[in-house]
Amino acid sequence: MGQSKVTAAAALAAMALSGPLYAQDLLFLAEDVPAGLNYDGPAAAIPTSQTGMVNVLEPLVGYATQAANDTGVITPDFDSFEGRLAESWSFDEASLTWTFTLRQGVVGCNGATFNADDVIYTFERAKSVSGAAPIGWFLSNVASIAGFTPDVFGDEAARALGPEVQKIDDYTVTITQSEPNALFLPVLTIFGLYIFDKEVMEANATDEDPWSHDFANNTDVAGFGAYCVERWTKDDEIVLAANPDYYRGAPAIERVVMKRVPQSSNRVVILRTGQAQLVQGLTPREYDSLRDADGIEVGGVSGNENLFVHMNFDVEPFDNPLVRKAIAHAIPRDQIIQNAYFGQATPWEGHVPSSYPGYVAPETQYEHDPEKAAALLAEAGYPEGAGLEAFGEAFQLSYVAEKETTLGPIVNAISTAMRGLGIPVELNPIPQTQYGDRQLVKRDLPFAINDQEKPIGVDAGYASQLFFVSPEKGGLNNMVNYRNEAFDEMWSKARVESDTAKRDVMLAEMQGMLMDDVAWAPVVEYTTQWAYSDSLKGLQWHPDNSIRFFDLSFE
Amino acid sequence: MVARYIFRRILVGTVQILSLVIAVFFLIRLLPADPVSRFVGLNSSAEAYAQAERNLGLDRPLLTQLGHYLGVLPSEGPGLLQGSLGTSWVTGTPVLTEIGQALPITIELLTFAFAVALLISVPVGMLAALRPGGAADRGVFAYSLFAGSQPEFWWGLLFVYVFFFVLGWAPAPLGVLSPLTSPPPPVTGFITLDSLIAGRPDTLFEVLHHYMLPVATMVFILSGPIIKMVRQNMVRALGSDFVLYARCAGLPKGQVARYALRAAMAPSVTLIGILYGFMLGGAVLIESVFSLGGLGQYAIRSVLAFDYPAIQGVILVITAISLLVYLALDLIHAVIDPRVAYG
Repeated sequence: MGQSKVTAAAALAAMALSGPLYAQDLLFLAEDVPAGLNYDGPAAAIPTSQTGMVNVLEPLVGYATQAANDTGVITPDFDSFEGRLAESWSFDEASLTWTFTLRQGVVGCNGATFNADDVIYTFERAKSVSGAAPIGWFLSNVASIAGFTPDVFGDEAARALGPEVQKIDDYTVTITQSEPNALFLPVLTIFGLYIFDKEVMEANATDEDPWSHDFANNTDVAGFGAYCVERWTKDDEIVLAANPDYYRGAPAIERVVMKRVPQSSNRVVILRTGQAQLVQGLTPREYDSLRDADGIEVGGVSGNENLFVHMNFDVEPFDNPLVRKAIAHAIPRDQIIQNAYFGQATPWEGHVPSSYPGYVAPETQYEHDPEKAAALLAEAGYPEGAGLEAFGEAFQLSYVAEKETTLGPIVNAISTAMRGLGIPVELNPIPQTQYGDRQLVKRDLPFAINDQEKPIGVDAGYASQLFFVSPEKGGLNNMVNYRNEAFDEMWSKARVESDTAKRDVMLAEMQGMLMDDVAWAPVVEYTTQWAYSDSLKGLQWHPDNSIRFFDLSFE
Repeated sequence: MVARYIFRRILVGTVQILSLVIAVFFLIRLLPADPVSRFVGLNSSAEAYAQAERNLGLDRPLLTQLGHYLGVLPSEGPGLLQGSLGTSWVTGTPVLTEIGQALPITIELLTFAFAVALLISVPVGMLAALRPGGAADRGVFAYSLFAGSQPEFWWGLLFVYVFFFVLGWAPAPLGVLSPLTSPPPPVTGFITLDSLIAGRPDTLFEVLHHYMLPVATMVFILSGPIIKMVRQNMVRALGSDFVLYARCAGLPKGQVARYALRAAMAPSVTLIGILYGFMLGGAVLIESVFSLGGLGQYAIRSVLAFDYPAIQGVILVITAISLLVYLALDLIHAVIDPRVAYG
């Protein structure tokens, strides 16, 4: 269809609108709307729920921003923190105590004023581990806040907030750590420790539910963010109205309607008619198709989304480093970038998102080289794959079936390349929940591709601890059962190293070990994207990939 | 007689539902997946995982979980017996509330679609049977080849493209209301009825406008099997002895056709009833294309998230409605077909 026809169709369609949007309203189409607004609730892990939380609640600290990238998307400066609800802070190394001076005159949606009681309430609630998933406790634990230990799960007395988070006066709070830990400030920027409005939360508590989980799961959540919930129908829409008293100034967009449109092709069509101004969750092909559309911009950032091949160290023959290296060399990265991501991805040269502080691209790299792969395979004792058929089940390449549209072309490219070397790869699509169970709980997936690991702590050390430290040494999501004593040892030193330069050197060495061992076979970092009306300005990427509507304005 | 028959059917139906509920309870727990891992998807720790498992009650013995679900263990909280379907593990909302929101949308969609499909299919099927090889018959043949050749979501997307994007006749596929229209206060849960109760004809018009395309898509899909069924039954009825007798007796053509239609309708009604029950969960693709948020979509979401209480709730509700529909069918049968007696 020609461009003029599209424009005419858009005009016609716009005329057919029964409820026109006002100039300052934004219609945002997504694959879902928040299923809950409670970060300790059952919906906390769902990205669209996080979008609701981050717009209604506010953190103590956030990242400063830097200039927009070449697609017009503003990115955070991970080396620079700035105050949000906390105006300033100081750290006393001797006592490991952070003192926060809180901002005055901050007013929430219900008219309550922010003060130290709200901060205390937030940490009390986190430590109560009363919600469906104890995210607030988990993050406090990751940041080494004293008292946030696993004891809370056994001992009821351990769930009471002690002197680790203390109110000094109405606008001063101290937080004490149990050991030095560079993750403290990065963790405070994560939505799972955003501050609640104590007054309103308590007004919605009941005897059975003293921490107002039902309220936050189903009705609203009270904080000091830029937007207030005006209307919310799960599985359908959430309407957010600007908080006129927001401390950073009233948001430019007065009302945001976030609407669930399950079919991505429909999100494209509605954006093209001009009825919606912002959409997310399209396939790479759909983003590509919108790049030249009139009045539409596609913006993106190589943030923290990536794809890697997972080989389980506990399953033969992946326990053999030569086999892992052969496979790493056999992955046709360029073909995947062109055919599956339509150019919207770059080769991943490490094990940590390249935008994170502390990331390095180690010297060892596994470029696509079938000959080298064949030689390594022969050296491993499997010339042209002979003998690998004995491990039949191990070569079932698992992936999340629900992501067939994006992952299908990738697994096909990989399996074709492997079969060319005589590696007997079979495709094994499985449901997300089954994949999650086998990855996180059973850790028994032999061979898989994974495009969904985004370390929420923006730090190379956090990513290392999360994925590669041995489970016995505190690794949380070591899905491939990677074990390297030297790596664990170095992390135990880097974890409590307060000198950033020294810590970075250790982290670089650790990333080198991961690459040498092929802990994962990194494939690509793909672009996190949105498509939007060209009159919409100010789009900013945040590490949780949720848009803050406060950032946006219409030209 | 009728009351006793209905009572007995409901009694048998309750036993059927109960057996199904228990079977489903165990079957979903046999699936090789773990709902807890989704909860702690934020790279959480083993302690956090264990806590989430406790919160879901999945650390209890299976029979205790079943007792809680059925509501026979008062210490564990309300269950089925107390009218509670539990709380969704995805949203934390009571399953009954969520189904109460999703079900009316699906029922409205299906009811409109079946009403329109019947209005079109019965006369067309009759015409095709009365004049085999005629224009109507050939038209039906061509249409059934055409409509049946593509899945319904494809037709839905095509309709959206043509009627919304190109022609602009239909509203955007954004559910039953425009994003900025506030819904009428919920009374019945059925948005058309609620618009009427609230005295908002403009909202009613808007809702009907939004239903237009999904209903058209469903009619397009549903009419095929209904027309075929009516046509076949009609052909059979027209060839039967009583029609031959009626013709010999010189009755007018119209009257003969009416007699034949009554005989042809009995099996057609059964098919329509079965289709209706099937479509309660099976309209998911249409719901998805038009962002309707009905029961089918709720079912799919629940299954993908391994939301046990929601899966159990959806199956219970669909089974109960299907059983009621079948009961109603049998009663209608008895009215249409004098050979049927309550036994």
